[in-house]
Amino acid sequence: MKALVPVKRVIDYNVKARVKADGSGVDLANIKMSMNPFDEIAVEEAIRLKEAGKIEEIVAVSIGVKQAQETLRTALAMGADRAILIVAADDVHQDLEPLAVAKLLKAVVDSEAPDIVIAGKQAIDNDMNATGQMLAALLGWPQATYASELLVEDGSATVTREVDGGLQTISVQLPAIVTVDLRLNEPRYASLPNIMKAKKKPLEEKTAADFGVDISPRLEIVTTTEPPTRSAGVRVGSVNDLVEKLKNEAGVV
Amino acid sequence: MSLNAATPEFVRTLTNQIGEGVISPPTPAYLEEPRHRYTGIGGCLARPRNTGEVAAIVRLCNDNKVGIVPYGGGTGLVSGQIMEHGPAPVILSLERMDAIRDVDAADNILIAEAGAILANIQLAAADANRLFPLSLASEGSCRIGGNLSTNAGGVNVLRYGNARDLCLGVEAVLPDGSILSGLERLRKNNTGYDLRHLLIGAEGTLGIITAAALKLSPRPVEVETAFATVPNPQAALDLLNHLRDDLGDLISAFELIDLNGILFMEETGVDHTYPLAEKSKWQVLVECGGGVDARLKARLEHALHAAAERELILDAVIAQSEGQRKSLWQIREHIPIGNRKIGSVVSHDISVPVSRVPAFIEAARPLIEAIDPDLRINSFGHLGDGNLHYNIFPPMGRNRGDYDNAAKEVKKTIHDLVAQFGGSFSAEHGVGRAKVGDLQTYGDPTKLAAMRAIKAALDPNGIMNPGAVV
Ligand SMILES: Cc1cc2nc3c(=O)[nH]c(=O)nc-3n(C[C@H](O)[C@H](O)[C@H](O)COP(=O)(O)OP(=O)(O)OC[C@H]3O[C@@H](n4cnc5c(N)ncnc54)[C@H](O)[C@@H]3O)c2cc1C
Repeated sequence: MKALVPVKRVIDYNVKARVKADGSGVDLANIKMSMNPFDEIAVEEAIRLKEAGKIEEIVAVSIGVKQAQETLRTALAMGADRAILIVAADDVHQDLEPLAVAKLLKAVVDSEAPDIVIAGKQAIDNDMNATGQMLAALLGWPQATYASELLVEDGSATVTREVDGGLQTISVQLPAIVTVDLRLNEPRYASLPNIMKAKKKPLEEKTAADFGVDISPRLEIVTTTEPPTRSAGVRVGSVNDLVEKLKNEAGVV
Repeated sequence: MSLNAATPEFVRTLTNQIGEGVISPPTPAYLEEPRHRYTGIGGCLARPRNTGEVAAIVRLCNDNKVGIVPYGGGTGLVSGQIMEHGPAPVILSLERMDAIRDVDAADNILIAEAGAILANIQLAAADANRLFPLSLASEGSCRIGGNLSTNAGGVNVLRYGNARDLCLGVEAVLPDGSILSGLERLRKNNTGYDLRHLLIGAEGTLGIITAAALKLSPRPVEVETAFATVPNPQAALDLLNHLRDDLGDLISAFELIDLNGILFMEETGVDHTYPLAEKSKWQVLVECGGGVDARLKARLEHALHAAAERELILDAVIAQSEGQRKSLWQIREHIPIGNRKIGSVVSHDISVPVSRVPAFIEAARPLIEAIDPDLRINSFGHLGDGNLHYNIFPPMGRNRGDYDNAAKEVKKTIHDLVAQFGGSFSAEHGVGRAKVGDLQTYGDPTKLAAMRAIKAALDPNGIMNPGAVV
């Protein structure tokens, strides 16, 4: 069995995002970029399936700027076997839409014929939460989203999903798309020997044009704004003060 | 030179002259310290809002010969901010003077009031795309006035120096209540005695720092962090030199971690994630930072790989994200929490010449074992600076109280050994009240005499932080 794991290079989850002065998007110049955290979980899960003898090969694929090579090297250092980079943007500020990414992934699935695609449930930069679902639709494959547990056996995947108010367990026939949630696993660190080995693992480079996929945007970003800043609190001296302020300043009681 | 207590009557006078909002009874928080070893006394708590109020309080105290204990974030570890005995002093907290007056990216200077919390200064610098490199585990609570007064060190001394190296000038209130306006923005200024250097590291005995001009550095764009297991402290030191040959002074931190530090966290349930498959007696945390396109990651990978071939490291991980980086640092930063939960018999903050750290560790262990073979040693710290927190703990299931007798002997043994190695009994925490005896024992007599002369000249009534340092 073969697993395909898409990984996206995004602004590091722990870095404070700043909006560009003209409101056209987030300023990514000289900003720390890392693998989308949900994709890290997807890579980890694929490696665990491989370690458990359920799959033989893990192919990581990334679509974006050339520097996404580094993200793929991280996936390889964690334990993926080979990588495919589709260069489809020449500027970090150019974010591909989920439909374009899904179409490119479909092309990769067509040529690689994996038994399972394990993806993050969403990318933390644009929070679209759509690529996995779109890919399933384009392929006509079953999808199991928000996985917090994954069991692969006898040509099917049993997936526990985190849904509002509880857990839902479903079973899907392989090949299928599984998108993973935060609690599925804790990704491993890349060890030095594996980082060195990863440098020698195959990383194939393609372009969007190689697949004949139209990646031109269909959405227009009207404006991007910073979240409102929270104003500093005040310490009140007594319950009476508090009630007084709630009444007269905040106007909530 | 006997002092008067801050009696209710004096407190009333102070309150009348300075204002009700500023003077209050001290709450227990101001009389405790992080390790719960010392309990303080105080006639009142003063929380001035500006330098003028500080000066007025100091003047009144000086006129009435009432002692003052300056108080920053209260994280000091040598009882400098805690006075246990003597006439009750005024505890003067700088907490309300926490403004960052200016951040100047062109001059690379940040002007902060003494009460500004270190972490907030770091953030203000980052907002201007600059780095204020002083960094210690207590940075969320300690205040810059306290950092300067103790000449704090921390994890980035290797590359950026300690608090003293990061300060261009101070504004301070001297013991007679006069105001020293020394917020110089100059990199060069050779005009007589540099009083800032007297106040830095004075631990509040020569005056009260009210504001400081701090030196900013370019913000590293690429930061890479690795955690490695090493065969022994000598290998750790060789690794440091090996990495410096390759990366020069891009190495900003090099911390040695003792297995016991990690076991203590496990024993007491302190949150951390060990990143490697196998633990080792010794591990190091390395960090380096560079400008745009320093290709630091690849360089660090290659340097570590070469080190592995030289058998300087057993295994290593490199953080692949900021989240992993934080998690690696959490190991180092949570060690003191584990230590505190176990409760040390005695802790030492020592330094020896960097090259002699491995020999020191070798020499110290049998001496401790000779005192009591059951004692557990956790020696960790800023290896790159030759600074070890050489701390001794009771065996599992026993209490530090059972070892009160051993404590004195251990301390003397370690400090004597440090002296033999040409080291210091207080590398970064200061003298405070806890190490006054050590300073007298190990300090150069001429230096001590000069220190006393300086103290007498600036503070003839001895009101500033009585009983601390000299
Ligand atoms: C978990 C932990 C980790 C630590 N790690 C390190 C470390 O890595 N490196 C290191 O060097 N230290 C370390 N320390 C010790 C401590 O944090 C530092 O010494 C810190 O700089 C003290 O700052 P503070 O604001 O808390 O000062 P306080 O504890 O309030 O005061 C310290 C001393 O300075 C005097 N003082 C305070 N403010 C002023 C002022 N404005 N003017 C004059 N005198 C003043 C006080 O009287 C006292 O003598 C650590 C402490 C803890 C609890």
